Amino acid sequence: MGKAFDIMLIFEFIPTLIHYLGVTLQILAVSIILGFVLGIAAAIPRLYKIPLLNQLVILYVSFIRGTPILIQLFLVFYGLPALLMLLFSIDITRMEAIYFVIITYAISNGAGFSEIFRAAIRAVDYGQTEAAFSVGMTSRQNFFRIVLPQAVRIAFPNMANSVIGSLKDTSLAFTIGVMDMMGRGDTLIAATAHALEVYLSLSIIYYIVVLLFEKIFSKLEKYFNRYQKADVTAVA
Amino acid sequence: MIYLKGIKKSFNQLPVLKGINLKIEKGEVVTILGPSGSGKTTLLRCLNFLEKPNAGLVQIGNIIVDAEKATKKEMLAIRKQSAMVFQHYNLFAHKTVVENVMEGLIVAKKVKKKDARQQSERVLDKVGLSDKLDHYPSQLSGGQQQRVGIARALALNPEVILFDEPTSALDPELVGDVLSVIKSIAQEGITMVVVTHEMSFAREVSNRVLFMDEGVIVEEGTPLEIFHAAKEERTRRFLQRISGETYFLPLKEQVN
Repeated sequence: MGKAFDIMLIFEFIPTLIHYLGVTLQILAVSIILGFVLGIAAAIPRLYKIPLLNQLVILYVSFIRGTPILIQLFLVFYGLPALLMLLFSIDITRMEAIYFVIITYAISNGAGFSEIFRAAIRAVDYGQTEAAFSVGMTSRQNFFRIVLPQAVRIAFPNMANSVIGSLKDTSLAFTIGVMDMMGRGDTLIAATAHALEVYLSLSIIYYIVVLLFEKIFSKLEKYFNRYQKADVTAVA
Repeated sequence: MIYLKGIKKSFNQLPVLKGINLKIEKGEVVTILGPSGSGKTTLLRCLNFLEKPNAGLVQIGNIIVDAEKATKKEMLAIRKQSAMVFQHYNLFAHKTVVENVMEGLIVAKKVKKKDARQQSERVLDKVGLSDKLDHYPSQLSGGQQQRVGIARALALNPEVILFDEPTSALDPELVGDVLSVIKSIAQEGITMVVVTHEMSFAREVSNRVLFMDEGVIVEEGTPLEIFHAAKEERTRRFLQRISGETYFLPLKEQVN
């Protein structure tokens, strides 16, 4: 790829690229929040074995797990406008590319989250529910006051992994023309022909952001685990 | 007062309770003995509908529920008449000791948080844990956890406290502590139904002993009657085996 390697360029590119970190984080934040809601909605039919919906969710989750995210992105990008046109004659072909990205990642995260939630809720000892009933709680009170807080602790490490995975996956958004960090990198390469330097700058930025996320998550995890066995000596 | 009539329960067509009739007066301490699989724990759990009986009437205090037609609301109402102490404690893992005791008061009894805390602290003092209020269950020994379990039940001031093998999961040296707490609250005149393998407890504390086997109450009477003059062969055999004397017979024979 053309020009001689120039190490200084790596650092010169960083400010230009980091300017687009906001877009990346925006995609991540919105798709995580939507995925969270979708994940809860999808976990409910699985937990309560609601007929039909249960099977649909199983299919949804297995399809998302079994196909590459890049292909899902294209399926949404080309498929969603076609589908909406066919069913409701709504034309969304002019919608900004970033929305397609967000929808794709929300669907993808939703599938992952639903499995994480389901497993976490199942993992809370049934004895906790029996105890809640024995003191006179309703099913709803039991779920929100006893089961859910403990499920959050169990789900958290997997959620954190998903978020970090998702952050890295957003780098595919440029393939449908979204101007995030990766998209900007692409144009930089076209303009300067210093591909290696651009990719090195990008890796540095992604790496630092991931490290930061990991730091925050490990703090949160400690908080969620405060009532677990680990630090008996600290309080006793 | 507790009144059971014709309680039947099966799991997957396997009958576990075959029509239990039982009356327990206010202030009575009743222990249920019996071999494992005899249905004693199931009977206890039918009292607060943790197991829903297939048929029969359950009355606790002034709430009567027909098991066959029990609605969620009725089940909740009858649960509020009782409290349970579990074999494996089942303390709320994410709540501190005092929060565990407060939880039922706040959520089910709608007691104000401040009052709930006061009441909970008083009960925890009674079971000797006032120095552990802000500990989490995972930081306590089994015996301490079970005493929190007892405090949680006691705080609700229910018509009856149900004990499901409260000392079976404890290390032997911790059993004494927990039993003495149960004894002391028994002496306060709280109605208790206790499923246990602690014969000394059954003998010393209870007013009445039920012996169950294969889903029926085989025999009932005062501890004196059951332990020293059991009428039924099955009861005698069970008590003999529990007391451990026959355990060593085969060994002795081998030695000779």
